[in-house]
Amino acid sequence: MLTIDALKQFGADTNDGLTRCMNNEAFYLKLVGKVVDDKSFEALENAVAEKNLDAAFEAAHSLKGVLGNLSLTPIYEPVYEILELLRARKDIDYAPYLKTISEKRAELKELIG
Amino acid sequence: MTSYTDVFKNGKRQILVADDEYINREMLENVLIDEYDVLKAEDGEMAYEMIRQNRNTLSLILLDLIMPKLTGLELLARLSEDPDLKSIPVIVLTSDQDSEVASLKKGAFDFIPKPYPQPDVIKARISRSIELAEDRQIISSTERDELTGLFTIEYFYRYGNQFDKFYPLADMDALCFDINHFHVLNERFGIAKGDEILKCIARRLKTAFPDAGSFVCRKAADTFLVYCPHRDDYSKVVEQVSAVIEEIEAAVKVRVGVYSFCDKKLDIHSRFDRAKIAADKIRNNYSVFISHFDEALIDAELYAEQLVEEFPKALAEKQFQVYFQPKYDIRGDKPVLSSAEALVRWSHPTLGMISPGKFIPLFEEDGLIAQLDEFVWRRSAEIIADWKKRLGISVPVSVNLSRAEMYDPGLIDTMKKITGDNGITPKDLYLEITESAYVSDSDSIVERVKTLREHGFFIEMDDFGSGYSSLNMISELPIDALKLDMMFIRSAFDKHNDTRMISIVIDIADYLGVPVIAEGVETEEQYLALKKLGCTIIQGYYFSKPVPAGEFEKFLLEKKGE
Repeated sequence: MLTIDALKQFGADTNDGLTRCMNNEAFYLKLVGKVVDDKSFEALENAVAEKNLDAAFEAAHSLKGVLGNLSLTPIYEPVYEILELLRARKDIDYAPYLKTISEKRAELKELIG
Repeated sequence: MTSYTDVFKNGKRQILVADDEYINREMLENVLIDEYDVLKAEDGEMAYEMIRQNRNTLSLILLDLIMPKLTGLELLARLSEDPDLKSIPVIVLTSDQDSEVASLKKGAFDFIPKPYPQPDVIKARISRSIELAEDRQIISSTERDELTGLFTIEYFYRYGNQFDKFYPLADMDALCFDINHFHVLNERFGIAKGDEILKCIARRLKTAFPDAGSFVCRKAADTFLVYCPHRDDYSKVVEQVSAVIEEIEAAVKVRVGVYSFCDKKLDIHSRFDRAKIAADKIRNNYSVFISHFDEALIDAELYAEQLVEEFPKALAEKQFQVYFQPKYDIRGDKPVLSSAEALVRWSHPTLGMISPGKFIPLFEEDGLIAQLDEFVWRRSAEIIADWKKRLGISVPVSVNLSRAEMYDPGLIDTMKKITGDNGITPKDLYLEITESAYVSDSDSIVERVKTLREHGFFIEMDDFGSGYSSLNMISELPIDALKLDMMFIRSAFDKHNDTRMISIVIDIADYLGVPVIAEGVETEEQYLALKKLGCTIIQGYYFSKPVPAGEFEKFLLEKKGE
């Protein structure tokens, strides 16, 4: 079962995230439980694979907002990085960034169980 | 005026959260739910629909910029183009500093960054934006009517809307006050005095509705609107407002239309349309001064509108049918078929048989009656010709002419063409002209009737006794028959059994040397009494109801057999 302590261990700034949730722990944990299934993760991967950088930017942008609101720093940071590269529409290999994101996402999934 | 400290006391204001991310929507709702009524939209189109539906109650929109279907910036552009929607403040939700400026330029009120700041910050920004937007709305319009110092209509509607946002649960009434025949007062006492009267009424309305939750405005010259918490009885108010205005020593009669317990889903101006409909219903009633709106009024208006709208189609599709009601000459031992009256029926594909009492007054008002009457004349002529050809017999058929048609300079040509086209003569077509037509502009009508007679048409004066023609005028009238108003028959044979008025009319007809036709005769008792009084011709259910042309043939064949 997901706990605040486990999220802290994972590296999330839980105090910050909880404040946005009016310090309602159950509510915070419920939202974190939902974010791993956010369709923007797939949207980002697909868009990068299709070299549609506009769509990739939008997906990353959405993710950044949600992850930031939940203060899930370990996933937020790589998403932020890829977002800035996509903002400049840089023609580079995005695979390593996607890999980090998906690893961190898998880690969080593990925590949720 | 209600102060902002009262804002959340009674009910909550409504906020829309438009964001395609579930987590963002939930998080904001969780922050706002205690103080606001929160609506949620998950894409731009849905947000737009919800804004339109809730435009009267929505206090603020929280808008994500990147959304499917319609982006936040596109939605902002749509809102700013719509006068009904552009006054609702929008706060943009964005994680992009570049977008902040762009959205402010597009008309956003403020922005909230992502990740969200502390809940207290979010709430403070929202409540400040709402306050500013509401103040701005009030300041930007011309608040006061110069003459009366009441709110102007625009300000009145906005203020009413704002009140609804403060107190969504309050039971409100929309009132529409009209002064009966204000133009007469203006003419009688002069415009300056007329203005005095308006000012006096404005003062009295303000006194009658003193509380902060009531609003009064002057809409047009002599129409005043009031939006106020529900009251059961407005008779005291009407009395106060209608009291004698001393400086001119005249009593002003005020009527009020009341739409109680307003449906807040209706736009505020629609609520006052309903009050106006109620007020208009008693416009010509001099004993009733308060009229309540009910749904049946709307239904009646919609029904009327539908009939008028469908008229051309109905005419083209031959939904109108001409029926015939026989008239019998009762002078001899046995009644003899003498003629018939053509009456129109509307067989509507979905509404069924519609009574002429429902559509004829409407068409008279709209001028459509001319087309309908001409259809009846032509159809009657065709049927007469058909009877002559097939059965070798016919009787004259009388058709109705409305007052407006009497003024048509082409009338005689039309009539001659209709008879000519069908190979019948003017003697086959009798013309029923209502008495009231003679009264309004008797000289020109009398001239027109004379010309019709010179061309051989037989003229029956319809509804005689209902139109107040003077005895003096009657003696000069060019007519061939007098047709008693149906009300005469009804009242003569009700419980009083007083037939003296009928005797008088029969005497008048004798004096003019024309026959008297009684319509609406339903019983044998009536038939025998009318015969005894000296009535010449009788029409009514006693002999037959109006029937289709085919069915009428049996009367013709009967007559032919004799």
